[in-house]
Amino acid sequence: MVSFRWLVQTLMALGTNAYLLFPFGSVIYQGPLKAVCHPGLNCYSCPAALLSCPVGAVQNFIGSLRLWSPGQWPHLGLMVLGYLGFIGAVVGRLPCGWICPFGFIQDLLYKIPVRKFNLWQPLRYGKYVVLVVFVVLMPFFLIDAVGLGQPWFCKLICPSGTLLGAIPLIFLKPGLWVTVGFYFWNKVTILAVILVSAALISRPFCRVLCPLGAFYGLFSRNTLVHLEFIEGNCVNCESCVRYCPTGVKPYLDQGSRECIMCLKCLDACRFRALDFSIRRPLPEPESQSQGPSWLGKK
Amino acid sequence: MPKKALWLIIIFTVLFIIGINTGDLDYLLNLGNTICLSCIGVG
Repeated sequence: MVSFRWLVQTLMALGTNAYLLFPFGSVIYQGPLKAVCHPGLNCYSCPAALLSCPVGAVQNFIGSLRLWSPGQWPHLGLMVLGYLGFIGAVVGRLPCGWICPFGFIQDLLYKIPVRKFNLWQPLRYGKYVVLVVFVVLMPFFLIDAVGLGQPWFCKLICPSGTLLGAIPLIFLKPGLWVTVGFYFWNKVTILAVILVSAALISRPFCRVLCPLGAFYGLFSRNTLVHLEFIEGNCVNCESCVRYCPTGVKPYLDQGSRECIMCLKCLDACRFRALDFSIRRPLPEPESQSQGPSWLGKK
Repeated sequence: MPKKALWLIIIFTVLFIIGINTGDLDYLLNLGNTICLSCIGVG
């Protein structure tokens, strides 16, 4: 399973960044595939990117809401919301573990043989703050003279945009150097901190800052497919915990919002106490199916 | 199958279809075809 996931991650990262003509024609791909969002965090300004970034798209939709004028249909971004919500409702954070190119980069960095550290758990709530403040509130409320909001997450934080978009574009279009200032160096600093910490801590960006992971995580307890814990088979060896990249304890927290469904725990468990399956509906309460308890069982 | 998951899938599918039919697709295509200066940190 582990090597299969590596294969999928590699194919997804390369397959969705497969535009190799950027040095010869337009600097970024401008074809019809740009109408489709990537399920993971993949900057649409990456010269090789074939798809759009869902987080960038959401911010742009929210940022342009104030430009709406009566008689015109507002662009609410329902397509992107529906797309992300559909993915979240079916598989939760599975794209984080299998598809996201920036998650893959962090997985690769964590392979570097240096001392490893655990994440301070309260930091994981940071991604919800980023989702609400930088992706929703700031693009909606901080508007320019025209009435247009900015994609503040992209502008201030997004390390994927810096690594895959900003740095390659700065070299491909040297004219951009003139406009480089605070925002660029701020993003380069954040990227550097995240890349260094990714070698020391497993998936720090996904666990602390990623708004897309935060959004998918909202569905974790109600996804169609889920990681099922079979209590009778568990011997409390905690093998699953040692292998989990996000520090989830599947036997304590089923449907954890931190679980990226990488399924490493499935490989780690030799007692088949975990299974990846379609969620079964909860059984009917006993009082409904068999009558009130004070009446006795039928 | 779990009811909550099915309802969520139906609701988000409907939102997706409404979005497509109200011009979100063209908006997104137009957006993705321009270099995002904010992403680079120069905008």
